[in-house]
Amino acid sequence: MRRLEASKWVFALAIATLLAAFACGGEDAAKRAVAGKFAIALNWKPEPEFGGLFEAQRSDAFTKRGIELEITGGPGAPVVQMVEAGKVEFGIAAADEVMLARDRGTDIVAVFATYQTNPQGIMVHASRGLAALPDLFAAGGTLAVEPGVAFTKFFEKRFDLAKMKIVPYGFSIAPFLNDKEMAQQVFVTAEPIAARRQGADPQVFLIAASGFNPYAAVVITTGARARGEAKRVADFVAALREGWRGYLDDPSQANAQMGALNKEMDGETFRLGAEAQQPLIEDAFTKEHGIGAMSLARWTELGEQLRELGLIDKPAAPQQCFVDVDAPSGTPPAPR
Amino acid sequence: MNRRLIESVLPPAATFVLTTAAAEFGIRAAGISPLLLPTPSAVARAALQHSSTLLPALAATAQSVVVGLSLSIAVGLLVAIALSTSRWVERAFYPYAIFFQIVPIVAIAPLLVIWFGYGMRAVVAAAFIVSVFPVIANSLAGLLSVDPALRDLFRLYGASRTATLWKLSLPWALPNVLTGLRIAAGLAVIGAIVGEFVGGGGLGVVVLEAMRQQRTDLVFAAVLHAAALGLALFAAVNATSHFALRRWQNQEKDA
Repeated sequence: MRRLEASKWVFALAIATLLAAFACGGEDAAKRAVAGKFAIALNWKPEPEFGGLFEAQRSDAFTKRGIELEITGGPGAPVVQMVEAGKVEFGIAAADEVMLARDRGTDIVAVFATYQTNPQGIMVHASRGLAALPDLFAAGGTLAVEPGVAFTKFFEKRFDLAKMKIVPYGFSIAPFLNDKEMAQQVFVTAEPIAARRQGADPQVFLIAASGFNPYAAVVITTGARARGEAKRVADFVAALREGWRGYLDDPSQANAQMGALNKEMDGETFRLGAEAQQPLIEDAFTKEHGIGAMSLARWTELGEQLRELGLIDKPAAPQQCFVDVDAPSGTPPAPR
Repeated sequence: MNRRLIESVLPPAATFVLTTAAAEFGIRAAGISPLLLPTPSAVARAALQHSSTLLPALAATAQSVVVGLSLSIAVGLLVAIALSTSRWVERAFYPYAIFFQIVPIVAIAPLLVIWFGYGMRAVVAAAFIVSVFPVIANSLAGLLSVDPALRDLFRLYGASRTATLWKLSLPWALPNVLTGLRIAAGLAVIGAIVGEFVGGGGLGVVVLEAMRQQRTDLVFAAVLHAAALGLALFAAVNATSHFALRRWQNQEKDA
């Protein structure tokens, strides 16, 4: 009988802990709000893909707009969940994740898209003499990808993958370096440069070139914040844009700062990565609408593609997926 | 008999119904986003809707777990017998057997892929590494706890070492061996899923995919399938134990 009493208490304690864990989600955020602070969760280690963010932090682009920013998160951080739960005000995710999150009943919106052209690609050994992605799928071999990424579904739909052995990508290029018949997903700013510096001869096919091109390194927040604190969010985006302008012009100082936080990546890899990503961030569209701007046409296309791939049940309303903070009317910029 | 059945089934069933109902209403009342914590009904729906993914994945994981666990039992017992033969051997090697208990499987999992290649072999290796130590430790404890009086008796009658092992030490150690197996069975499931995170296949990959696609309900459904696998193995060990130890337990009751 006494044992039953004890287990009742343990049960009550467990429930209380669980509830407390969910209840205090907003507490950190409330403290930050009073102090005029924001926090942003990254989905990876500091690398050139976050260059503009670190440059904005370094160059006072945030502080001069009255924003104090804490940069948190990292590899494996459940960024969308953290933003949804109010643990952080902003996060970095991909456009397809935004649409998935909306389909799953949340109100996540995109406010800034770092990459106009998705920097994800498939890296192969140049010695295989392949000219494009279809050649790889015809040749076969092992392909390492993160399980569940949208582009794999796209490949399955578009190409015949019968000859490929698809395995999980463990965020190490060692298996690639060990196997001449191996291919893997990459960020053009990172793995191919590292592979080359370790003596391999890599060749990268951008996934965007085969027709699947979601905005990447997208800054997300909740719809409630985007509408309720429109001015502060607009300031945040303006600071970020300023940071990216600065980083594209001279990445050296932000690189040094990120290098101190991410010692696995050397200065030369940072420099080459920043150089490689430039054309993916700045193009004809951003020259007209500003770095990080997004178009309704691109979001509409992505929604259609995700629905075709069976990742979302119904076409999401694309105009709800992103907030064009430059247009007070809420009108998105003209499609390109 | 009927009453005993009710007594053994009713308490866990009542706990299940009450916790599930509490979770269902609690999550709904608190308005928690399905992305953060899905309701039990949403998890059940996901399990049904994705059964064509979950069941083959469960079968693949089960296969790796059974192979890994069988290896652990075979290797673990042999090592325990070897260690029990002399104090010197035990002192020389037992500290290194402990290595298997403390090895951080998550940290070495990526290496398993490089050593064993992608696929089932890496998964089996992960299941083996985490489940072999409890078999060694418990079997060894059992083998070393043989009643000295009985050992003397065997020696008095001139029994060979093999006969002593088969007729005295192993039967004596059996309850300990089975305790080791109960612990190993659960660990093997965990090891296999971690192995699948890097080696591919099975419930491990379903969990990763569902996480990536923000299907928290499917993540929970996959985790429940893994838990069911662990429970099934636990039940199998218990049934073996009940069958193997029936004679001893009855004797104890008579005494």
